Amino acid sequence: MSDAPGTDAQNLPGPLVGLRILELADEKGQFCGKLLGDLGADVVKIEPPGGVRNRHLGPFLDDIPHPERSLSFWYYNTSKRGITLNLDTADGRQLFRRLAATADVILETFRPGFLASLGLDYESLRTQNLRLIMCALTSFGQTGPWRDYASSDLLHMAAGGEMASSGYDEADAPNPPPIAPGGGNAWHMGCHFAYMAIMAALVYRTVSGQGQYIDASIHEACALTTEAAIANYIYRGEVLRRQTGRHHAARPTPRTQFRAKDGAYVCALVAGRLNPKYVGELADLLDGYGMAGDLKDPKYQDPAVIAANTSHIIDDLVANFISSLPAEEVYHAAQARGFTWGAVRAPEELLDDSHLHDRGFWKEVEHPELGRSFVYPGEAAIYNGSPWRISRRAPLIGEHNTEIFRDELGLSRAELSVLAENRVI
Amino acid sequence: MSCPRALENVRVVDFSWVRAGPWATRWLGSLGAEIIKIEWPENERGRLPSTTTPQNLEVNLNTSGNFNDTNVNKKSLSLNVRTIKGLEIVKRLITISDIVIENFSSRVLQNWGLDYQELCKIKPDIVYVSMSGYGHTGRHHHYTTFGPVAQAVSGLTHISGLPDKPPAGWGWSYMDDTGGMYGAMCALTGLYQRNMTGRGQHIDLSQMVSSVPLNGPALLDFTVNGRGSRRAGYPPGNRAHWPGTPLVNNYRGPTVAPHNAYRTYPGEYNDWCVIVCHTDAEWQRLVRVLDAPSWAVSPKFATVAGRLDHQEELDEHIEAWSMTLGKYELTERCQSAGVRALPVQSAEDRIEHDPQLRQRELYMEMEHPALGRHKVQNAPFKLSETPASNHLPSPLIGQHTQEIVEGLLGYSREELRAGFADGTFWPTERARFPYMEEMLR
Repeated sequence: MSDAPGTDAQNLPGPLVGLRILELADEKGQFCGKLLGDLGADVVKIEPPGGVRNRHLGPFLDDIPHPERSLSFWYYNTSKRGITLNLDTADGRQLFRRLAATADVILETFRPGFLASLGLDYESLRTQNLRLIMCALTSFGQTGPWRDYASSDLLHMAAGGEMASSGYDEADAPNPPPIAPGGGNAWHMGCHFAYMAIMAALVYRTVSGQGQYIDASIHEACALTTEAAIANYIYRGEVLRRQTGRHHAARPTPRTQFRAKDGAYVCALVAGRLNPKYVGELADLLDGYGMAGDLKDPKYQDPAVIAANTSHIIDDLVANFISSLPAEEVYHAAQARGFTWGAVRAPEELLDDSHLHDRGFWKEVEHPELGRSFVYPGEAAIYNGSPWRISRRAPLIGEHNTEIFRDELGLSRAELSVLAENRVI
Repeated sequence: MSCPRALENVRVVDFSWVRAGPWATRWLGSLGAEIIKIEWPENERGRLPSTTTPQNLEVNLNTSGNFNDTNVNKKSLSLNVRTIKGLEIVKRLITISDIVIENFSSRVLQNWGLDYQELCKIKPDIVYVSMSGYGHTGRHHHYTTFGPVAQAVSGLTHISGLPDKPPAGWGWSYMDDTGGMYGAMCALTGLYQRNMTGRGQHIDLSQMVSSVPLNGPALLDFTVNGRGSRRAGYPPGNRAHWPGTPLVNNYRGPTVAPHNAYRTYPGEYNDWCVIVCHTDAEWQRLVRVLDAPSWAVSPKFATVAGRLDHQEELDEHIEAWSMTLGKYELTERCQSAGVRALPVQSAEDRIEHDPQLRQRELYMEMEHPALGRHKVQNAPFKLSETPASNHLPSPLIGQHTQEIVEGLLGYSREELRAGFADGTFWPTERARFPYMEEMLR
């Protein structure tokens, strides 16, 4: 359940150890802060008194709504410390300037111009810290006719092109709408690119000693994340059509998603690969279950015969084979024989995945205030020399106020009390 | 361009192919790293087969449009690494490089004699990023993926679609795009640490595994609350909640209505707009945009609970209105009133009609020697001191072989000629492109 076994590397610090990040982020940027924090950076999440809005997003622990029980907030804010600070007050802004003076990176997702209206724009913060990197990750960027538009995950998936590529064959859902895949992936797309830009600026700073400002746009990140749709239009003028569970295409392509015996689906990439060698291997796979039909007939070593029987192979033989077995069994049997097929799993079914267990993927994270610990998803990549880790669960509201304002900035208890009374922290 | 580049003087040995790996190094290149793409025409995947070659050009190794966009900012060295001489040359290149990146199956580099231990002997502080389907660690390391398979196995496909329908999934290889992101992110993180500590490392990225953390809240709903996602009403299409099913957050955002895609005028394939109201106040603004028709001011729609309860009726009313407006006009009307709305945009829409992307210069033209002048995608971020840019079109295969072998590695012209004669730099039986003949003069 815990870290990968038997390596000394587990005690080493993460690759970003020593970096101090100030995160002023809502749903748009919190994942970027997590990416940095889980790799060892000291991410200080700065929330308004009472906590950020997305603490109110469900689902909640035991379905009891509370700002300390949002599982979404928990997930996206691991490995961060948390403080509260009211930037609408002069004292709050002064404290923020003191924090910014020693920070490596500020990550902010306010609407364009908001921090500048408080006198906290990059140029003024930079005067006291030439090494400061500031990344503004916003819906549309700091400029342009849409910069003040409101957004949401669904809006970004629409304008970014994700929806134009995803949906159904007419046969599966009459008059089907374009579909925005779930999970909040517009925010992920923006955060991946923001992380990349921040790391590029940090690498450059190791050489130049200078920080810089980054204007990152979620809309652009989404618009860049539809694979070849853009190239199809630029080079061929084609606008692609949506198809059930498979690639957009200029012309209809055979299905790749098949229902298995247990009702789950299997993604079997067969079409476009049907050469004599592939058909021979497919015949062997199906024959192992007595499901090869006529596929072992030598006539299928002729590409012309294969081409004439594509529908028979896919819609009869492959479909029948898959419908005779549970999806997981098809997946492993096919992969063991070199087929790039997979079971379409619900996320929770990954908890049973032996490969993920071998990689030490699932992490126990303690929630000491609850006296409980919970299993969290782990790392995208194993850093063999400087491990990824969840150093702590998401911060409670203002959990590290004393630690940071008193122990690090040197405020007295009395000063902290006054700041709290005045809703500064 | 007088601006410095973020990754000035960083050299990347790029064995990657198909899409995910090349998408990673494309961004390192745009940030200023020198990307040396090692290719071999006999087992090339990425340039061919091509469905993005312009209709007026012959399909060959140098005319894939998608390859061009995926491989700008790189140089190409054609080299048979499966020969002793080829391996020797690539090792010489690694001694003067910072990063090695590849997205082969898990044991390919090891079989070539280039696993991490060997790489360290050649270049002790090398940053090595492997991007295989399942990673180098774990019992299924030999399994293979394409984007759709990684998406299926990781749970990403399942979370897309309408209830009681097959998964709609992702209409493209989201995890080739995103796998590429992680490849670049790992390389940059490893490079930063190397610059700080002098130590490199092997970063073992997996396309399938990197998909799983993208389902975080759904996974916690299971590990914490025991609630799985094979349940009534999930996934709820474009809605936040499917009518008639238990009210549970769907891991996209708040549980509100309206939250859907609506047809717009004139009702063509991509004439859709999405509209979302997060609060009652936002709903009231939409009511004003609608010009307060009697249905909209009905008390049953005044609260979020009421709108969720009567969502089918609500959506029918909104769509009757949205069908009267073009999607850009609808967007403008809603947004200027503070209502969340944006058009569904095809690739054509993004390139031709999106005023924001135009102003931000996301697509800028660039000349390619075989494809001509076309728009190429730019970075979605603006670094004030070291802007990312596209400064090289994608390389013709082997276009920079001479530059790298002679100029960078110091081999002689005679050695270059010998390497072409013995099949190290190009298959002896294969016709050479004219620019290769030029190299041999």
